[in-house]
Amino acid sequence: MLRSHSFFIGVLLATPALAGGPIAIRVGRAETVAKGVVLNAVILVEDGKIVLIGEDLPVERGVPILDRPSWTVMPGLVSCYTRIGQDSEGGDDFSPDVKAVDELYPKSRDLRKVVEYGVTTLGIYPAGNGIPGIAAAVRPIGETVEEMVLDDSAYLKIVMRSDSASKKRLRDAFKKADEHDEKVKKAREKFDKDKDKKGKKEEKKEDKPEPKPEPKPEPKPEEKKVAQGEGQDADPESAQEPKAEAKTDKKADGFVPPAPDDKSRAFVEMRAGKLRALVTLAAASDWLHWLDAIGKEKIGFDVRLVLNQDSDMYYVFDKKTYDLEADGIGDRKIHAVVEPLLTFTPNTRRVRNLPMELARAGAKVCFTPRVDDLPNYKAWLAHVSELVGAGMSRETALRGLTLNPAEMLGVGDRVGSIEKGKDANLVFVDGDPFQPSTRIQAVMLDGRFVFGEVDL
Amino acid sequence: MIRLDLMRRLSFLAVVSCAAFPVLAQEGEKTDAPKGDVEESKDEKKKDEEERWFAILNGDVYAGTGEVLRGATLLSKNGKIHSIGYDLYVPPDAKTVDAKGYRLYPGLVAISSQGLLGNASGDFEDTIDPFSFRMVLGLGTGITTTGAGSGAVKLKRFSVDGAVLNEKIFSTFSWSANNPRGKGELREKLVAASKFLREHREWQRKVKEEKDLPEPSKRGVDNNMLGVLQGEQTAKFVANDRDDLLGIARLAQEFGFRPVIEGCQEGWTVADELGRAGVRAIVTPRDRRTKDERQAHDGGASIENAAILHRAGVQVAITPATEGVDLGGLVGRDILHLPIEPGFAVRGGLSERAALESITIVPARLLGVSHRVGSLEVGKDCDVIVTDGDVLHYKTFVQWAVIDGKVVYDKEKELFYAHIRPRPEVAAVKKIDAGETPPVPVEPAEEGEKDEEKDGPEKKDGEKKDGDETPPKKDG
Repeated sequence: MLRSHSFFIGVLLATPALAGGPIAIRVGRAETVAKGVVLNAVILVEDGKIVLIGEDLPVERGVPILDRPSWTVMPGLVSCYTRIGQDSEGGDDFSPDVKAVDELYPKSRDLRKVVEYGVTTLGIYPAGNGIPGIAAAVRPIGETVEEMVLDDSAYLKIVMRSDSASKKRLRDAFKKADEHDEKVKKAREKFDKDKDKKGKKEEKKEDKPEPKPEPKPEPKPEEKKVAQGEGQDADPESAQEPKAEAKTDKKADGFVPPAPDDKSRAFVEMRAGKLRALVTLAAASDWLHWLDAIGKEKIGFDVRLVLNQDSDMYYVFDKKTYDLEADGIGDRKIHAVVEPLLTFTPNTRRVRNLPMELARAGAKVCFTPRVDDLPNYKAWLAHVSELVGAGMSRETALRGLTLNPAEMLGVGDRVGSIEKGKDANLVFVDGDPFQPSTRIQAVMLDGRFVFGEVDL
Repeated sequence: MIRLDLMRRLSFLAVVSCAAFPVLAQEGEKTDAPKGDVEESKDEKKKDEEERWFAILNGDVYAGTGEVLRGATLLSKNGKIHSIGYDLYVPPDAKTVDAKGYRLYPGLVAISSQGLLGNASGDFEDTIDPFSFRMVLGLGTGITTTGAGSGAVKLKRFSVDGAVLNEKIFSTFSWSANNPRGKGELREKLVAASKFLREHREWQRKVKEEKDLPEPSKRGVDNNMLGVLQGEQTAKFVANDRDDLLGIARLAQEFGFRPVIEGCQEGWTVADELGRAGVRAIVTPRDRRTKDERQAHDGGASIENAAILHRAGVQVAITPATEGVDLGGLVGRDILHLPIEPGFAVRGGLSERAALESITIVPARLLGVSHRVGSLEVGKDCDVIVTDGDVLHYKTFVQWAVIDGKVVYDKEKELFYAHIRPRPEVAAVKKIDAGETPPVPVEPAEEGEKDEEKDGPEKKDGEKKDGDETPPKKDG
């Protein structure tokens, strides 16, 4: 398959699309996800971005047009919780310093294969139990790791079970972060003292008499490189902003907080709101134990719910139904990553559509393939369409395959929907994406056709 | 059925509206009052709002202490029993259960069980599964508290906080004729511990005068044994033979502690001695054993065991033959038949009151939690079961189970027994098929097609059930 892939690239080399020149796509129907359905849509793609989208837009003379009135276009699928194409085994129970991006292998055959199934963005998590490390948002195709990476700190994976070990792990981690805060505070005090001695007291400091130490870790050299690599793709401001702010802060004040050590960095960043956690839960009780374990810590997190045939997760979807003392998952309006699976009410044969119930309770459902292998990637759309058949709305289903997981990965401003300014990651199908007879005809990644026989 | 009692609410409103005018007038006069007072009253109001009221109305209250109040009301405030009686004022915001024709009992206490807390083990605070179906089955049996590990835990659903009542109460020791060396070692431990306690007391007395006096060494002293002798823990033995029972009773008298003996099958032959020694027994009336024919004295199991022990002053807790939820094998003798088991002791002469106590207040005492659970008394936790008959009767179902003033089990809403003799008011409204009610309310706004789909099979089921429904049972 690698061969056929390179073949298409080869063909496209001759077309203006690769040169970054504009190309217009005219299809019968566009599922934009962000702004509903556009019929007879025309999408203008230039430099790997979507420049325009609208109904029956006039196309300038000279711009090549891909005219497929029988096709439907939808955003490239986003698989936010996967290890497809990764080989390593899980390690240590507590390694929040591990980054999935470090084991990324651009030549992996599976990564290229999932593109054919419509997947254009992946959230790759590090292997292991407990707290195995930080996931990365990547493109499935690239010559180097730098080319592939969209965000190397998408989320920290945490596995939560109803046992003492899980809670202890978390408490210890937060304790470590406390120790770091203490260190920063002391450094700050020392710094202020030294400054007073020098008599260089500035006004700015008085504005914040007790500055909440903002433990901004020095961006690692590799991080910088990545950011530069992304530069031409107009890296979203959101990622750059905090760094810039930290820099100006430093200039104004001259105080450089000590960098947190490897084991505490992730939790320090989480407290500062710069990193979110993805918490894996396998049963309803795990949710309550998780809330109990984090206590009053204000950290951002999403959940990964492992569904099985007898899942009892529905107990904690919302607070109201079972009169819970704690919040339900839906009440928190967080992302919930689930398999597209119809389950049973435990001990019965009564079918439940838990992803649908979850969405109704207010959670932002994100789908992950039933099993993390190629056959299930191939059947991914079909599996989701089973849920649509069982009552889930098409909008929820589409969003759960595209924009929601993109937002969960923190790249929702770049991918996940067909909107002006977003990356041109598009999947072309020859009918309703939730009909079993529908086939994927072509896939576009960053403005290039990476799958499908397309001649303009 | 939980509902805000509409009638009461209306009457309350009436009272308020009548009283409103004089109150307003007073307020007008009071405008000069210092600001501090106003703020205080606001705070008080806030506190009132946080109060959580719950009431079970019109039920026959079997308090578990011998008293029965027919058609009385039990009122709970913030999870504790606030009052029991007649013509109580029930705050209008209280959640209520109308238990007319039903009985109220204290939640049952299983001295030990397996699996009712999910797969929890060891550290129950961190491992309890408040959604386990076995917990629902346990509550359906009427069990609201269970011995777990060596402590006591409530079957508190939908929350992982506050379920653990007591983390460690039992220290288990062995005393058996089959293991004479073990007997010797146990005695040595007891001697060492009591010697230490004696010396320590002496030291405490003397140290006030001689400040340099060294504290006696704790080395070689068993901590659990110290706990037992100081009354912080309870020594638990598993013993059935007459000789062993006598041995334990004498040991207890010699060293001054009150043991719990599980099994106690030949206890009826030495009941007086056990009673004098302050032994507490955990028995299973349906246990059988034959007499050892080499033994000159009485022996073997007796159906009168519990009755005779109770008469001799031994507190008797009753437990079924197996601790788990058995879905095969010993069906009818597992933990889901806890309330059936004392019936066999009643058959052997135990009073019904003592039989009820054997699964409520006595195990609560043994677990060291009788100040919170085990009977319906003002100030205790509002752990109540509402049944449709005598709790010891095999035909009786638990209709509601309440823990900490919150309904955690409603027969009609759970999968297991809803279809058997549904409550009249529920049966009248809807044909119940267990678990059929969609737990998530269907919102037609978003997805209309779904509803139509769901209605179809639901109706069909209901029709099918029409024929085989038994007429609803009316009285308790």
